[in-house]
Amino acid sequence: MFWVRFDPTRPDVRFWARLLSLRGIVWCEMVLDTGSSRTVLDERLLARAGYDLIASPKVTVTTASGRMEAKIVTVRQISALGISADDFPVLAMPLSQPLGIDGLLGLDFLRLRNLFCNFEKGILLTLPFSRNLTHRFALSAQIFAAL
Amino acid sequence: MGEIRPEPIEQIRQRYEGEWLLIKVTSYDESGLPKEGILLFHSPDREAVYEAVDDAFKRGEDELLTCFAGPLVPEGWEVVLSVLGSV
Repeated sequence: MFWVRFDPTRPDVRFWARLLSLRGIVWCEMVLDTGSSRTVLDERLLARAGYDLIASPKVTVTTASGRMEAKIVTVRQISALGISADDFPVLAMPLSQPLGIDGLLGLDFLRLRNLFCNFEKGILLTLPFSRNLTHRFALSAQIFAAL
Repeated sequence: MGEIRPEPIEQIRQRYEGEWLLIKVTSYDESGLPKEGILLFHSPDREAVYEAVDDAFKRGEDELLTCFAGPLVPEGWEVVLSVLGSV
């Protein structure tokens, strides 16, 4: 189980993400976005981290303000909220300057584990999927502590 | 270039509110998340900090952190982020 606190008074839920690139490790801040089907990273950050955006395939994505083009970049490893994924495809897009974030953690990443969020206390848990009844009880006990 | 002594990342953020930061990570908390670091570069311009990431890797740094020291969105703004896409 991974357990982390966030500030429940803020309008966003942001967390550190660890990005492994060809050049080294970059920690960046990402926002939890369960309305986003895909994980997004700022294209300029990915380029500076050594990823080749020119050769990456394009895809059309839909945002709240319309359609736009993005690149699909497979990152060597991305880790956040106790979840780690190797060779994980992310969308590389420009994130506008007023936004103080480097990316969005979308459902494709969050689906790798169960997610429990206590918005009143500002506690977020990620838990493995339950294997059997005993395991389910054990996980329930962990969630109970965060209620 | 900034200080050479590691300090808590939150402390650095408070000092440079409203700017993008590039920090060399030097220690972690019990969850394995960055706790302390050395400020390498700061600017109100995100692109300038990303360029500094490039320079830092060229100098041989191998673990960096970028973040914005301030609110996600400017006061008075609201934001809708969701992206729908498929591979």
